[in-house]
Amino acid sequence: MNTHPESTHGVRLEGKVALITGGASGIGRATAERFAREGAAVAIVDIAEAPGKALAVAIAEAGGEALFVRCDVTKLAECERAVKETIDRWGRLDILFNNAGVTRRESVLGTTEEEWNWVMAVNVTSVFLMSKAAIPVMLEGGGGAIVNTASGWGLVGGKDAVSYCASKGAVVQLTRAMAVDHGPDGIRVNAICPGDTDTPMLASEAEQLGQTHEQILAESVDRPLRRVGRPEEIADAVLYLACDESSFVTGTTLVVDGGGLAGSG
Amino acid sequence: MRGLAGKRVAITGGAGGIGAATAARFLEEDARVAVLDRSREALERLRDTHRQIESMEADVADPKSVQGAFGRIDHLWNGLDVLINNAAISVRHPFLEIEIEVWRKVLDVNLTGVFLVAQAAARRMLAGEGGVILNMGSTNGIAGYPFYADYNASKAGVIELTRSMALELAPTIRVNAVCPGFILTPMQGAEYTPKMLRDFEEKVPLRRVGTPEEVAALFAFLASDDARFITGQTLVIDGGELAGGLASR
Repeated sequence: MNTHPESTHGVRLEGKVALITGGASGIGRATAERFAREGAAVAIVDIAEAPGKALAVAIAEAGGEALFVRCDVTKLAECERAVKETIDRWGRLDILFNNAGVTRRESVLGTTEEEWNWVMAVNVTSVFLMSKAAIPVMLEGGGGAIVNTASGWGLVGGKDAVSYCASKGAVVQLTRAMAVDHGPDGIRVNAICPGDTDTPMLASEAEQLGQTHEQILAESVDRPLRRVGRPEEIADAVLYLACDESSFVTGTTLVVDGGGLAGSG
Repeated sequence: MRGLAGKRVAITGGAGGIGAATAARFLEEDARVAVLDRSREALERLRDTHRQIESMEADVADPKSVQGAFGRIDHLWNGLDVLINNAAISVRHPFLEIEIEVWRKVLDVNLTGVFLVAQAAARRMLAGEGGVILNMGSTNGIAGYPFYADYNASKAGVIELTRSMALELAPTIRVNAVCPGFILTPMQGAEYTPKMLRDFEEKVPLRRVGTPEEVAALFAFLASDDARFITGQTLVIDGGELAGGLASR
């Protein structure tokens, strides 16, 4: 499907430097590609080395600027190194997209302590750690924009996903609190809340639930826009929050879910 | 913004404040723009700066007036792609002093007007290739605020109307609400003292009020193809006010 018939190289992020966690696949990958097309230099931060490196090469071949940094975002020292490598290369950091995330599709009874800790570490602690590493650098540059990937399930409960729902609810609150703290210094902080999106994470959910990819996509036809989202559509909304067009927007949750949370019926 | 060039865009209350800034923004995006407004003088001023705008004198609270304006839109464009339901009025007054005539007037313009114009627009969008309806809510429709009980109730109504329309009109029409906080427009400039503005600016996380152009940019994003998976949502643009900046102090 031709999602973006008018897609061309834009200029909305000209001269900006962006760091994207979980940047090698799914929403992070689509956002890295869109940001690069809009003129940003992009640090792709991910634990998956091969796809991350390949994406950096693909962006460079398309005329953009990209760098891959292998990083476990649950460790402060590695987050600090990712920020340092970005600064060493481009001298500044304007946009942080805290997007790395994982999911376990289990209730309290089916979730082990290790799984709970893992989901909270990757989905929540990573936002804290990477922000801790990035904000001082953003302040030196006079401000910036942080976008955190929460979820529709950070706003309402979902079935058999306790650790994920709790983690995304925490991301929503972390976003609001950070917006209050850093707004006076010119750093805007917002959350993007995707509904089901056709990514490797959705494929993993299907597998955990014993469903096929087709089954999980078919379930989506009862939502208002009759389908799941595409990673590019989430990336388009992240771009709005990251660029100067949203200069008065901070502490908000931008839900991109095809109407899933609008109500029942 | 992607997908806005050539689009047929109607903006109510478009002759002043956020509406006029939105009209200017959509012209920059190479859209075709019709502005509906009660004020002939304001429409004439707008036409002086933007000759290409189609100006239509109309009262959104009057069904016949809305019908007349859409008759002209049919004649001009034979359809509509984007509606910005922006017209609204507000009066600062204590709850105990709200007169029934004023209450009715505020609800008529701010809520019934949104309904009347949206219904006329949605019929044309469903007959065409779909479209986008964007309603003007307010942070006052989400959180309490003293001395604007009628206005706040009307804006809460707009938010719920938005969700219900989004469900019924999907997947052909996307419907969202924009909820600004403090935006310095003529409407607000007339109501707030310099001290009230200063007090606000000291508390809101971004330490300033917003501009009509910043709200216009949000309308442009929501109307564009970049927002093609967003519907039934209320988008807050308030410098961080609702995130806790004012409520927590």
